[in-house]
Amino acid sequence: MKIILAEDNDLLRKSLSFFLESKGFEVNQFADGREALEAIKNNDCDIILTDINMPGISGMEMTQYVRITLGRQTPIIIFTSSGIEQTELDAFDIGANDFMAKPISPSVLLVRINKLLKENNR
Amino acid sequence: MPDTKFPIPRNEKERLVALRRYNIIDTLPEQEFDDIARLVAYICDVPAAHVSFIDERRQWFKATVGFEATEVERDTTFCQYTLMDTDMWVVPDATKEPKLIDNPNIYDGFKVRFYAGIPLTTHDGYNIGTICAIDHIVRDINDEQKNALRILARHVMSQLELRVRNTELDKQKEIAELAIYAKDSFLANMSHEIRTPLNAIIGFTELIGKTELDATQKEYIQNVQTAGESLMLIINDILDLSKIESGQLIIESQPFSLRSALKHTYELMKVKVSNAIEFNLFLDADLPDMVMGDRGRLNQILTNLTSNAIKFTQEGDITISVKKITENDNSYTLRFSVKDTGIGIAEDKLETIFDRFTQAEESTTRRFGGTGLGLNIVKQLVELQHGVINVKSTFGRGSEFYFILSYNKVFTQEKKVQKAEQSIKKLKHLSVLLFEDNILNQKLARSVIDEFGFDLDIANNGEEGIEMFLNKRYDLLLMDLQMPVKDGYQTTEYIRCELKSDIPIIAMTAHSLVGEQQKCFDIGMNGYVPKPFKQVELLGEINRVMNKKPAKQFKGIDLSYLLEMSCEDQNFVNEMITLFVNKVPNEIDLLENAVDNKDYDAVRKIAHNMKSSLPIFRLDDLLKDLTLLEKQAIDTNFTDEADEKMNKLRKGLTDTVVKLSTYKS
Repeated sequence: MKIILAEDNDLLRKSLSFFLESKGFEVNQFADGREALEAIKNNDCDIILTDINMPGISGMEMTQYVRITLGRQTPIIIFTSSGIEQTELDAFDIGANDFMAKPISPSVLLVRINKLLKENNR
Repeated sequence: MPDTKFPIPRNEKERLVALRRYNIIDTLPEQEFDDIARLVAYICDVPAAHVSFIDERRQWFKATVGFEATEVERDTTFCQYTLMDTDMWVVPDATKEPKLIDNPNIYDGFKVRFYAGIPLTTHDGYNIGTICAIDHIVRDINDEQKNALRILARHVMSQLELRVRNTELDKQKEIAELAIYAKDSFLANMSHEIRTPLNAIIGFTELIGKTELDATQKEYIQNVQTAGESLMLIINDILDLSKIESGQLIIESQPFSLRSALKHTYELMKVKVSNAIEFNLFLDADLPDMVMGDRGRLNQILTNLTSNAIKFTQEGDITISVKKITENDNSYTLRFSVKDTGIGIAEDKLETIFDRFTQAEESTTRRFGGTGLGLNIVKQLVELQHGVINVKSTFGRGSEFYFILSYNKVFTQEKKVQKAEQSIKKLKHLSVLLFEDNILNQKLARSVIDEFGFDLDIANNGEEGIEMFLNKRYDLLLMDLQMPVKDGYQTTEYIRCELKSDIPIIAMTAHSLVGEQQKCFDIGMNGYVPKPFKQVELLGEINRVMNKKPAKQFKGIDLSYLLEMSCEDQNFVNEMITLFVNKVPNEIDLLENAVDNKDYDAVRKIAHNMKSSLPIFRLDDLLKDLTLLEKQAIDTNFTDEADEKMNKLRKGLTDTVVKLSTYKS
């Protein structure tokens, strides 16, 4: 399973990559939203994890691009910063499948990824 | 004879059957057909056109241009006549056409003068509908336009035909998928049903073997053990075939001793070789010992080839030989060969020898038995390991089957089993609850767990077990997956989600389908032991599950989150700590500078980024301070509190960095 992970905080990004890789995923990590989107355009991936706020382009813009311009239904989880409800609602509105408020619990993340992948494979 | 006024084609009955096959009447409008009608209007330069189908009593319009109608009575139409013909019917002036005298469409409503209709003819010659061009004035169309209409009619029919084929294919696909599913689940269930009692046989035999026995009894028990294991191998073979077919077979990569694996196979086969045959095992002197690969599959391939050699050899010798061909930094490439002096294979049969259900001679099955699947499984197993297999043979003189496999070298590791045995002593006295419905398996598990010195309670199903779990404190749950009332998955889900308990759970299962282990972990189980389980394996797994390290502290800093993320990998923990220590002081400076300068935008950006670093060391209080700073930056208004929080952050983070920089694993 291939994951594209976009998160500009190195510590969190590296930790999440390490965690997900040790669970058997192939993780492509990016600190810049635009670079992540390039990778999404050029490669197949099974799920996209992205922070909402990032240099380059934001997680919301990325989601919009994937859904509308690329027309792809790849599952997307958006990491939001401390529960701001409106943002989360917006995230759903533009086609994200799930959002998670930071701090990200790795085990919860794993469960949600597995759930989305399962739904997507149906 | 029905009382009808309209002309009826002589093949009307068959024609209606042909029409129904396409399932087109009374469907919704579709772009493809609308396009055809538009093209007709455009090509013939007429105001009205349609694509229609005609059943017993009506003409139904799939697409129309220039008028709106869903259907009309068949006996009022022009097309009823078109339907009678094989080619186009062109009426330049309807008022002059004898067949159309009194036709209501000429005088009422639509006032048709010009009509050109071409039948839609199926590949087997039935006219099921028409394409028409219609005008209110007297006129004609030229040959090119007529030709275009013919092409469009053919196009509509091929479109319809394709759809029917697609629907039929979809149906077939569905049936095939259902059949595969049925076969898979049948195999999985059968394997479970057979393995459960066999598991008990093998397990109890292992236990008897540990009691005091005299030499004869020991030998008998050894034989039962061997037979049980062979039976398990056969069942696994049958499963393998279905797994290979469905692409589910996985080649393992575990360190194993090549020499002892080969000797083991040799010893196993030796007892089956008659005295008239010399049976040899030749191993190259520079053959590596430990390699990474699938011992079971290698054993399976060699056993299979050797069994064949034994079956087809009356006298002479059978030789298994293995030699190293090449070696590089990471792997060895080895050539395995099984050579006999048996009946051999005729040259014209050599090519198909690895095909399924093929044996060298028609009479082979009669004389020697066998399913004709063996060599096919062997070939697929070799190929799954990225190897190649070949055969050389002279009819009447003997055969040699040889295959080439590459194995990765082993770097460190090993001694896992020993470790497990040693650390049992470190485990405290555990209270264990077993969920298992099969009485034999219950007894077997009880004996094994008694030997470990743990307390054991047994629940016959998930429901009963949950009841017991609620009434007593346990350290560990062992979970059979297939149970009545509530199965292992449902039970685990209930314990994790409803009871919110994180008690360690180990799955014990005789299922052997790929992906099952992952499924267990996905729903929150901690360990997995395939049945029939060996004592060491179960103990190793208990040990692994129970020794999950608790949340660690370092000088008051909570490392539990980082440990969870890193799956307790110490190198990675070190790497993350170094990263934190190196980057945070600089970030504090930048943040403080931005706060002092009331650079709201910069504060917002830096704070947002830093917010993700703090939870990694569970610095929750500092996170709150940082969040407040971020909020004030968003509101573009720093209060006095901002300076105070900034000071607290600098102090708290500097303190953390100083402590962490002394961290050594």
